Amino acid sequence: MAFRDFREFLKKLEEEGQLVRYSEPVRPEPDIRSLARAAADMPDTGPAVILDNIRGYKGQQLALNVHGSWANYAIMLGLPKTTPLRELFYEVARRWERYPGEVRRVTNPACQENVITSGINLYELLPLFKVNPYDGGCYLSKAITVSGDPDDPDNFDKTNLGLYRLQVQGPDTIGLNVVPAHDLVIQLRHAESLNRPLPIAICLGAHPMLTVTSCTPIAYDKSEYKYAGALSGAPQEIAKAVTCNLDVPAWAEYVLEGEITPRLRVTEGPFADMTGSYSSLRAQFRVQLKAVTHRNNPIFENLYCGRPWTEHDTLTGLSTCVPMYHQLRETMPEVKAVNALYQHGLTVIVAVDNRFGGYAKSVAMRLASTPHGVPYAKNILLVDGDVDPFDTLQVRWALSTRVRPERDVTVIHNTPGHPSDPSSDPPGMSGKLIIDATTPAYPDKVSPKYRTVEPVPNLDVYRKVLSEMQGNLARAVGAKP
Amino acid sequence: MQCVRCLRESASVVAKAPDGSGAWEMIYCKTCNFSWRTSDEEQFINPAERDKSFQLEGATLEKVQILIPIPPLRK
Repeated sequence: MAFRDFREFLKKLEEEGQLVRYSEPVRPEPDIRSLARAAADMPDTGPAVILDNIRGYKGQQLALNVHGSWANYAIMLGLPKTTPLRELFYEVARRWERYPGEVRRVTNPACQENVITSGINLYELLPLFKVNPYDGGCYLSKAITVSGDPDDPDNFDKTNLGLYRLQVQGPDTIGLNVVPAHDLVIQLRHAESLNRPLPIAICLGAHPMLTVTSCTPIAYDKSEYKYAGALSGAPQEIAKAVTCNLDVPAWAEYVLEGEITPRLRVTEGPFADMTGSYSSLRAQFRVQLKAVTHRNNPIFENLYCGRPWTEHDTLTGLSTCVPMYHQLRETMPEVKAVNALYQHGLTVIVAVDNRFGGYAKSVAMRLASTPHGVPYAKNILLVDGDVDPFDTLQVRWALSTRVRPERDVTVIHNTPGHPSDPSSDPPGMSGKLIIDATTPAYPDKVSPKYRTVEPVPNLDVYRKVLSEMQGNLARAVGAKP
Repeated sequence: MQCVRCLRESASVVAKAPDGSGAWEMIYCKTCNFSWRTSDEEQFINPAERDKSFQLEGATLEKVQILIPIPPLRK
């Protein structure tokens, strides 16, 4: 079943026991953060949380942790909530190749049921909160920023959707943080070189799959809307913004329309980013709002970001793995799976059949030069094709028994890094570490000692028997299963 | 009023609790762009109690790192 919008997804989460409505009174700080952190500490099964009784914001609704567990992610894909992670990966990888998905233009969209063009005050319109105690202000941490290319404004595929952190700086102004690798920077460079403001639309509570594709490494001239359509199976409905020509998600809960002021930098930050550390104060861009539109009874969706594992990791995880997986397999079909879940791909584990001596290390070098791998893939670990890179126990076994430290560990100096990585010094510079934990192949030193014991046949039958016996026992003694 | 982070006299109230409860006010500093809610925990909004490494007293904001340089103007 494909969800039309954010609300249909919330309804399905609730039906599946994956959404909690918290109606006890809470303070904006620190209570919202406490609930979000607690939910994030359940990465496999944690629920979405809707708050509707925030002090000072009576009657307003806030949604947290919507993508915050693999159970919720599976439901978003239309799969059972207990689907194993490895199967979720292969499902996303399979749907990736369905690009382009359907995009449908509509008029009189729900996101414009209410239109405000004067007296905008975000602190009153949205139940904002400080995500972390020393953040520089209230942040929009799950907002999709839509923008177009000033040099090619009619090219729909160059409409960029990105999840950038946004610091509310006054009633109707926002500090926008971008790093050099972001596609929005390409468009900003064009606009600033002409001293023109760049129109943007900041969308909150969009289709859950659109939020995923907006933080996925996609080529500049590929459409996040079309990827969302392909991955979700739901046509992505869009409509023209009110104050500019941009295409916005028709069912978004809120759309904040405005412009980025050219050739101006303002202080922004700090913000406790997805690496779990506060980024430093930076000189970034300023957005001036012109209009806010929203649905009736809108729900403000935001994301807790902090010490991993958080919703940020689940939201970005699989769609970070899949593009690199396909890029590797273009020339290296021996690659079986890619796990780039750790902090948006700072650590990557690749499962590959070692075609010949040194092949696995070549895969690492190819990964390090993919568009996303260039700034991100810092620690690259290779394991055999029959090792599940999503299974921590198997990966550690491979590390324990296949790494020859004097031959299988390589450090490459002076490569790009990511400014949010606290170990990137100076910010934006790093190195790369390759650990080859694959079984050596000819003409490397092959040994019969590497042969592992034979797999045991008919395991499913025995697993089922033991599981049922354990369940019966638990019921007999009155314990919870 | 004084900003609790940079200590300059450039902060002002920008919002009150929209439900009319008077539960809090939001204050914003136009020099360093910091904002805080009056109902937040004392240790984070009292200059004497805040972690000194997050303070900007006397800081020269012009020296803050620009990640994206301003490009030359096209002719």
